Amino acid sequence: MAKAIRQINKQVPNPIEEQAQAVGEILTALADNKKGILSALAIIKNLEEIGILDALHAILENRTDVGVIAMQQINQPGMHNTIKNAIYLFNFMGTLKPDQLQSMLGGVTQGLNRMGESIKNQEQHGLWKLGKSMRDPEIKTAMTSMVEFLHGMGESFTQHPSQELH
Amino acid sequence: MSDHSFSIRINEKEFTVQPGQTILQVAQSHDLYIPSICYHPNLGTIQTCDTCFVQSGGELVRACATKAAPGMTVDTLSKPVKDAQYEAMSRILENHELYCTVCDNNNGNCTVHNTAEYLEIEHQKYEFREKPYPPDNSHPFYRYEPDQCILCGRCVEACQDLQVNETLTIDWDRERPRVIWDNDVPIDESSCVSCGHCVNVCPCNALMEKSMLGEAGFLTKLPPPILEPMVDLIKEVEPGYKEIFAISEVEAAMRKARIERTKTVCTYCGVGCSFEVWTKDRQILKIEPTHEAPVNGISTCVKGKWGWDFVNSDQRLTKPLIRKNGAFEEATWDEALDLIASKLTEIKEEHGPESIGVIASSKCSNEENFLAQKFARAVIGTNNIDNCSRYCQSPATAGLLRTVGLGGDSGTMQDIETSDLVFVIGANPAESHPVLATRVKRAHKLFGQKLIVADIREHELAQRADFLMHPKPSTDLIWISAVTKYIIDQDWHDKEFLAKRVSNVDGYIKTLDKFTLEYAEEMTGLSKEDLIKAATMIHEANSVCILWAMGITQHSGATDASTAISNLLLITGNYGRPGTGAYPLRGHNNVQGACDFGTMPSWFPGYEPVGNSEIREKYEKAWGVEIPKDPGMDNHHMVEAIHKGTLKSLYLFGEEMGLVDANSNHVQSCFEKLDFFVVQDIFFSKTAQFADVVLPAAPSLEKDGTFVNTERRIQRFYKVFDPLGDSKPDWQIFQEVANRMGAGWNYSHPSEIMDEAASLAVIFEGVSYDRLEGFNSQVWPVHKDGTDSPLLYQEKFAFPDGKARLFAVDWTPPYEAGEEYDIHLNNGRLLEHFHEGNMTYRSEGLTHKVPGIWLEVSHELAEERNLTDGTLVKLTSPYGEVKVRTLVTDRVKGKEVYLPMNSFADDEAVNYLTSSYHDLVTHTPAYKEINVKMEILEATGEPPLPKHNHRFGNRMPQISVRVEDKWQRPDFQAIEDLFGNGGDTYGESNQAN
Repeated sequence: MAKAIRQINKQVPNPIEEQAQAVGEILTALADNKKGILSALAIIKNLEEIGILDALHAILENRTDVGVIAMQQINQPGMHNTIKNAIYLFNFMGTLKPDQLQSMLGGVTQGLNRMGESIKNQEQHGLWKLGKSMRDPEIKTAMTSMVEFLHGMGESFTQHPSQELH
Repeated sequence: MSDHSFSIRINEKEFTVQPGQTILQVAQSHDLYIPSICYHPNLGTIQTCDTCFVQSGGELVRACATKAAPGMTVDTLSKPVKDAQYEAMSRILENHELYCTVCDNNNGNCTVHNTAEYLEIEHQKYEFREKPYPPDNSHPFYRYEPDQCILCGRCVEACQDLQVNETLTIDWDRERPRVIWDNDVPIDESSCVSCGHCVNVCPCNALMEKSMLGEAGFLTKLPPPILEPMVDLIKEVEPGYKEIFAISEVEAAMRKARIERTKTVCTYCGVGCSFEVWTKDRQILKIEPTHEAPVNGISTCVKGKWGWDFVNSDQRLTKPLIRKNGAFEEATWDEALDLIASKLTEIKEEHGPESIGVIASSKCSNEENFLAQKFARAVIGTNNIDNCSRYCQSPATAGLLRTVGLGGDSGTMQDIETSDLVFVIGANPAESHPVLATRVKRAHKLFGQKLIVADIREHELAQRADFLMHPKPSTDLIWISAVTKYIIDQDWHDKEFLAKRVSNVDGYIKTLDKFTLEYAEEMTGLSKEDLIKAATMIHEANSVCILWAMGITQHSGATDASTAISNLLLITGNYGRPGTGAYPLRGHNNVQGACDFGTMPSWFPGYEPVGNSEIREKYEKAWGVEIPKDPGMDNHHMVEAIHKGTLKSLYLFGEEMGLVDANSNHVQSCFEKLDFFVVQDIFFSKTAQFADVVLPAAPSLEKDGTFVNTERRIQRFYKVFDPLGDSKPDWQIFQEVANRMGAGWNYSHPSEIMDEAASLAVIFEGVSYDRLEGFNSQVWPVHKDGTDSPLLYQEKFAFPDGKARLFAVDWTPPYEAGEEYDIHLNNGRLLEHFHEGNMTYRSEGLTHKVPGIWLEVSHELAEERNLTDGTLVKLTSPYGEVKVRTLVTDRVKGKEVYLPMNSFADDEAVNYLTSSYHDLVTHTPAYKEINVKMEILEATGEPPLPKHNHRFGNRMPQISVRVEDKWQRPDFQAIEDLFGNGGDTYGESNQAN
């Protein structure tokens, strides 16, 4: 005769045993990862010494408040410009062809070298000599490149009049 | 089909076309991408989003709405096409703010995100404008955010024409259109049945599962004071959407690391919906259906979509329990299993193996049922094994075995969908098989399918039917036979089919003599005109499917009534062709599979008879044991044998027999007499209260396995979680008990059990886990090479001579309780809950919608007895009593009342009223043959059904989303007009949508 019963006597977990088991599991994990744990402890010690842990703790405790303030600060026109400029610069870098940049930067380096020497020697060319140097093939090449550069820039300005206003 | 295929040229390449395909379908079937936000393969053409514009014959046309024609040339890449698509997408983004990285729908499958990215949208052409409506968070399971809604109408199409609940519309007349529920009420107060279709098809985050919000993304849980400025910031600094999309894609990829997507098969009804479960640790984020799912596509119902909280319920059994001194004590598995093994061995030795019975579960997998019957037959040594099909569809199985040879649906959902006439008798699919019902409702609404319903209760399909028949209870065999006879008398029977494919034709026809229209009219209450009308509709239809369920099978003459249905189908030649056949709708997710895999007293797996010595030898050889030659006891026999004292012990798993078997008091008192009772379940059920040992089992999400749905379709489900606590999958438990009794089993995965079943049962010989990988499925019988059999009897019936057999049957009068019991008690299911409710009542949302059961009473009865919504009444039958509050409704008529079975309360559950009378052939209880008397306990009280239930809603039927109304708006300018003439206006227009 088994009458319907609803009483279930649950084994009350023994808190001391449960704790001992948990501690055992933690110790095993620590021992298995001894090297990493010790390095992490050393880092934590340093962070503690210079007060960063305290600061992090305070930020996390008040994460919503801090987050709101941070967003307020970031969400400002100046910061918008900074972020936008960073993105544009990043995009710009992506559009440059490395070999072009290399030859241009080579030119800049060489130019700077000669410029440095000229300043060091306190050279001053007369107007005649300056005019004559325009016939110099090196100067002509550099001037042509600069004019083409200006052409390209102008083309972009006329084709996409809105872009610089964006 | 391929004979009629032709080709068209898209982008200078040849593409093969099947007749009827649109340009978009041709492209998609060849993996050529054309943007298409509002198009969905399960919904068809909607034409609201305009992103699928392509050029054909120099014109801009919508690829989703333009049928491919021979010789057609199409361009999907030209400038006008790009311009038109870009314009369409820009209009969409005026209605949708892109903050993908902090959006919970950013999971790699967001249609709006992916389309905007494909179209290389760089900037918002039309500024995003908020809509003047707050989000609707009223529904417990999902929300609507108008500001994110792109008005594509997928949700409306799904609600109107796929689910056919007709709740959602878009109000195009407002200055800012939006989706509305009913006549613009909060979602929770509408006619919404919470099926989830709208959420499943939403291409963005406008309709979202609440369980996803703040949970799916890494940043989406940020509080609004941080999140909102962050969205503003991102919009402010965006150089273009390309970079934003890149970041959101990284975030979406990161989500994959912590959100698991696992395919499963629904564990509620027998339709067999499959879908992915998205989980984060043990948290269920959502159910995500896919158009790959063979049965349901993207369709779900309220339970399959939302009813999974039970898996993580804190009420789950997590440790074995052993009865000691009038209470259950928690025990270790070793203690519990040792006790079971020693007790069963002891009882077997003392009283013989026939003193032990096993009750199997139609919620458990095929593999678990296979092992359960192997355990009974090979380890205990008895055929005393049965499952709960004994409570539902055994009579249908028996009726089909008599007439056509196989005990299952004769076709698939595809046949039901494409049939000319669907005839539903004694079944309520809209609540009991919701996704199957959607296919009938859709075919009926859109494709001219005729629908006849014969029922005593006016449920949803009855309300939608072309013709509704309301016979007197328990008289179905009579009117079905009368309709059959009338058809023969009119010479409308399919003489060629009968001559070639059916035996006993003349013998059977003679037995119909008594079923005249006059006799039927007198006995059933249906008029002659009604009977003639039903016969005529059957005669005029080229193909007929008959669907039936408990309204037929839970009667004294249930097998005979099922046989009469099959006879009618044979007489009219409605077997073996697409769109025809017999469909006894299966109630549980795996009630078909439990039977198929042999948890029946007289059948081995695959319906191979125990009594056949050759078949028995096959199993004896495979298992190295001797198996008793006589069929064992069924559920009903077992209850009586316990009362008689010959059955001493019962091992029951996954079955609430104490409440679900009829005449609960009688069944529960038999449990008290058992010497030893093992109950294995996921919850501490009523039945478990009588057990000596209770074992904690694992539900489908915590194990691998397969289920068979009502179509005979075998589908795999995969383990999502580890079993909760110390619970275990049922198959592992059986193996451990069996091995303690010396079996020496060594299954490491359910696939090995399936391999064994396939090697033994002929109808499964081609079944394997590899072939069932993912969303693949097989409909049995499955041949060795893996070919399956969606439509049965195309060439021959499943008898040795290949011919079907007309089987003469006669009417059995129902059980009468006596004159004082003056009210007929009908009973069955509700949409929101499942059976006694041990799974569904664990869901807060489902319980919000339906907190408990009620008694449906007619207006006539309410007037006669002074009943109102909330009157507390006591119902008394000769077998027991229940107390329940009434709900006055026109779903029931006269003195017929309806009591849902969805309660496990001792003073409510319907089976405290039902009797032990049963079907004469299969012993299925005659649940539907009970009369009661009613006494009022409290004249007024709280109405039992809250007003926020769909039954109080106000449907708004229409076809599709009425895109024409959008096109008529004064501010709408057709995109083809803007770009159609070569696109020369591009760049100058700034046309607001």
